[in-house]
Formats: sequence, C-alpha cells, structure tokens
Amino acid sequence: MGMEVEIFIQAVVNGIMIGGVYALIAVGLTMIFGVMNVVNFAHGEFVMLGMFATYLTHSLLGLDPNLSIIITVPIMFGLGVIVQRTLIARVVGLPDESQILLTLGISVLLINLTLLIMGADPHSIKTSYKFSSIQIGPILVMLPRFIAFSVAMVASVILWLFLSRTEIGRGLRAVAEKPEVAILMGINPQKMHRVAFGIGVALAGVAGTVVTPFRYIYPNVGQSYVLIAFVVVVLGGMGNIPGAIVGALVIGVTESLSAQYVALDLAMLGPFILFVLVLLFKPTGIIGKGKAY
Amino acid sequence: MVDHRNDKFSRARTLVLLFLVLAVMALPLLLSQRYLFRVLINIFFFAALGSAWNIIGGYAGQLSLGHAAFVALGAYTTGLLMLHYNVPPWAGVLPGVILTAVVAYFLGKLVLRLRGPYLALSTLAFGEIVRILMLHFKGVTGGPLGLTIPFTGRNVWRLQFATEHMNYGISFGLLVLCIFVSWRIYNSRMGYYLQAIKENQEAAESLGIPLARTKNLALVISAILTSVLGGFYMIFMTYIDPYAVAGLHLSIEIILVAIIGGVGTVWGPVIGACIVVPLMEMSNFVLGGGRTGASMLIYAVILIIVVLFTPRGLIALVPTLEQYRSE
Repeated sequence: MGMEVEIFIQAVVNGIMIGGVYALIAVGLTMIFGVMNVVNFAHGEFVMLGMFATYLTHSLLGLDPNLSIIITVPIMFGLGVIVQRTLIARVVGLPDESQILLTLGISVLLINLTLLIMGADPHSIKTSYKFSSIQIGPILVMLPRFIAFSVAMVASVILWLFLSRTEIGRGLRAVAEKPEVAILMGINPQKMHRVAFGIGVALAGVAGTVVTPFRYIYPNVGQSYVLIAFVVVVLGGMGNIPGAIVGALVIGVTESLSAQYVALDLAMLGPFILFVLVLLFKPTGIIGKGKAY
Repeated sequence: MVDHRNDKFSRARTLVLLFLVLAVMALPLLLSQRYLFRVLINIFFFAALGSAWNIIGGYAGQLSLGHAAFVALGAYTTGLLMLHYNVPPWAGVLPGVILTAVVAYFLGKLVLRLRGPYLALSTLAFGEIVRILMLHFKGVTGGPLGLTIPFTGRNVWRLQFATEHMNYGISFGLLVLCIFVSWRIYNSRMGYYLQAIKENQEAAESLGIPLARTKNLALVISAILTSVLGGFYMIFMTYIDPYAVAGLHLSIEIILVAIIGGVGTVWGPVIGACIVVPLMEMSNFVLGGGRTGASMLIYAVILIIVVLFTPRGLIALVPTLEQYRSE
C-alpha cells in the first residue's frame, strides 16, 4: 500500500472516530427537533456541561472520565427535564424566533455562568491511556478516541432499542410523527417532550464525557460542537435519527480530510461549505424529510 | 380629511426629538471622564448596530445570526486600507461598503429563500466562514493577532483625536443616520412589504409583493449600515481581531439589543442599547470578570425574561402617547 493511500485511510479513520461523537450530539439535537419542533441552540452548552461534570467527578472522586457516565447521565437527564419544564415548554408551538432566541439565551446563560464559576482557563484530564493507541495494519487509532467512538455507538444502539422496544419510546415516535393522533391514543405530549429533551441533553452529556480524555475543557467549547451538530442534523434531515448518524460520520470525515489536505485551521471550512451546499440543493437532507422553504 | 390632532401630536414629537438631540450634543460639556464617553459611544454604536440589523431581522423577521461578518468586512477593509495605503478612514469606509454590499447581495440570493431555523443556521454558518477565513489568511488580516492602527498624534485627516469628543460626535451622527434610514424604510412602501413578509410570506406573495427582491434589498441596506459602523469601530478601538469583530458573540449582542428593546420597531434598538450597555458596564464594574462573564450573564437573563414575558420587547412596556389619548 502506497504512503499516499495510507495517509488517506488514516485521515478517514480519524474522521469516523470523531464522527461517532458528533453523532451522539446530533442525535439528541435531531430528536428534540423531531419530537418538539424546537431547534435547540443551547445544545453545545450541554456538551460543555457534560465535560465539566466529568472533570469535577474525576478531580473530586478520582473516577476514570469514561466511567463517570454513570453519574453524569442521570444528572444531565435531570437537568434537561428541568430546563424543558421551566423554560422550553413555554415556547413550544410559538414562532421560530421565540424558540431560537430563548435557546440562544439559555446558551449564553450557561456559558457565562460556567465562566463565572470555573473561570476561562482550559482544564484537561490526564489518564494512563491518554497516548495509548491500537495498531491495525498501517493504521493507528488513538485509544481514547476509539473508546469515545465505541461508547457513542453503544449509546446509539441503546437509544434505538429504547425507541423501538419500549412503550415510552413508541410514545416519543408517535408524538414526533402525528401529535394529534398520539393525544387521541392517550399519550401525554408534555411528558414526551420532557423525556425527549432529557434524553437529548443526556446524550450531549455523554458526548462531553467521552471527549474529555483528549479535548480541553473550557466554557466556550460547546459552540464549536453545536455548529457541527447543526450541520449534521441538516445533512441528515431535521428530525431524522439514522440520518443524523450517517451525517455525523460524513462530517467527521469531511473535517478530517479538510485538515489533512487543505489546512489544519481550515478543518471546519469543509463541513460549513458542505452545509451551505446541502441547504441550497437538498435542504431536506441527504436522506431526510422536512421542509426548509 | 386632515387630522389636526395628529398633526399637533407629530409636531410635539418632533420637538421632543429635537430636544433630545440637543441634550445629547450638550452632554460632552458636562462630562469629564473618558470612561463615561466610552460608555456613551458604546451605547450609540450598539443602538446603531441594532437599528441596522432590525431592518432585515426585525421588520422582515428574517433572523440573521451572521451580522458580525458585515462589521468585520467594514472594519478590516477600512483598517487595512489605512494601514497599508494610508487611506483616511472616512474614505476607506466606501470600499468596505461596496465589498459588503456585494457579499450581502450574493448571500441574500443564496439563503433568503430559507425559513426560520434554516435561515438562522445558514447565516450563522456564513459568519463562521468569514471568521475562519480571516483567521486563516494571516498574510492579509494578521490572523488571530488582529490589526492595530498606530496612534500618530492628533490628525483630523485620519480621524485620530486626543480626546473622545469627536468620536462621540461621529458615533452619535452614525446613530442618527441609522435611525433615519430605519425610520424612512419603516414608513415607506418597502416597510409595509417587509412587515407583510414577516406576518405571512405566502399571503405577501399572493398580494404581488416581490419577496426575493424586497428581502434582498433589506439585507443589503442593513449590511451596508453595519459595514459603515464596522469601519468606524475600527477607528475608535484602534485594534480589531477576528474574535472581537467577527465572532458569534457579537452577532448575538447585536440581536439582543434589538430584541430586548423591541424588535421590528424604530426605537426599540435604541431603548435596548440604553438599557443593556450601561447594565453591562455596571456589572463589569461591580463584579469584575471582564467583558464576558458577569455582564453577558445578565444579558442572557434579560433576554430569556423578554422572550418569555414581553416578546415585543421593553418598548411594549412604555405606554405610548396614542394609548394616553385614547383613555
């Protein structure tokens, strides 16, 4: 295998690894949109809170960052339910502007609250396996990234099982597809909204947790993730969960290839240009449904 | 039939406005502290930026989250021309305006047919693309280090002054310009078109309103004003970098001023800036914590309260003279 091909495959593999994390963030975002018809501009801040929650459990309890999921998931789910109950529920069904502005407000609030409490300095978590890697032929995969990807995939499968096999999961899908019919079937849409927002926030929290071994933790970190998640969600079709997973892998690889072949600091340009192109030519997403005009 | 009461009313309002303008002009005589001047200049700037944004974001309801990019285009063009070619800023604003108008025109062609969240997201992506490019092309823009205009002593030609008096006057003039344009549009046929588009696009189109052209014109006018403000911002601050003038937080601050004051009204952004800017300065003063942190936190809380409880902005809380007369 030539050197060029190896570099290319390596870049694609790196892209898929980080794409898995993007999938976790985007799946929550797209589910919130699907069930509640709300675009959550604060979604990246829940990733950031997940990172800080992991950082705190790690530094206070000495817990391995990946294991801190058992603590961060219930906390983030609860936080999501509270935010939905107290704030988001008031704008469901209102014009888009109200929802965009409210969630933007929540985003600015969470960033600056964290900034006041934790300070602006970036934190990092040291693990014994920070620089470990797995060698598959000529391809090298960093262990923390591989764990992040694996956790993301497991979480996606659990979500899929939850949505297809449980009563609440079926209720969520019913509210997403036909809210009027769901109400007639005795499903409480407000309850489903809370569950959807709670799960979305919890998934964002998981994404925050699994990236802590290799990413800096600081109050503004969520903004880069939320932009990527939006790109992914539009790419996969708003409200489409399988679409979001495929879209996340596409964006991860696009970002990685842009960094490899164009310039490191232009890594994000590729996804954004792809985003604009998708909006222009296929605004309902590559495999999605929805209405953009 | 001519309504004389209305006539008298508008004359009274003109007098009040005139009085306010004179009061603003006289204020520098009473102020000695440079800091207070800075605060007032900031109020004028954000009120003007909010008014410019309001034309497309408020009147037409087309939520743009990328207006910082227009500030950046104006600021960088003016700054680079001044730095490399010694073009005085009042002339350097013009190329910035032309560049911004062209960019805004093509942006509008591309994204203004999108709706709601899709439009918001694509303008947000546009702003980020501009910021990433400015960070990348270090040879031209200076990258993350930004641009610094050296102070070469008092120089009227280069709009560099030892005191803040002239900056105060210029920024107030810019605010008057923005309000005037915004007010003229509001009361013109175009203003009615924009409000119809905001209410219901399908209905507006079926009435024969040229949707694409009207929205695009509003975006270009809004971008031009924003670019002019960016150019002068460069002069007053003497330093810019991609984070300060092209960052998402600036786009959000511009919107917040308009929303908090009263979106889609002529005076809303002015009220918003008068409330928000001093509040931010005070919280920075009392709590410390720099520009972000404490002040932005208060900003966010006000925004959330406004969206949830007075979606029409704080201007809706001010009883209008019309309401008094009807009582």
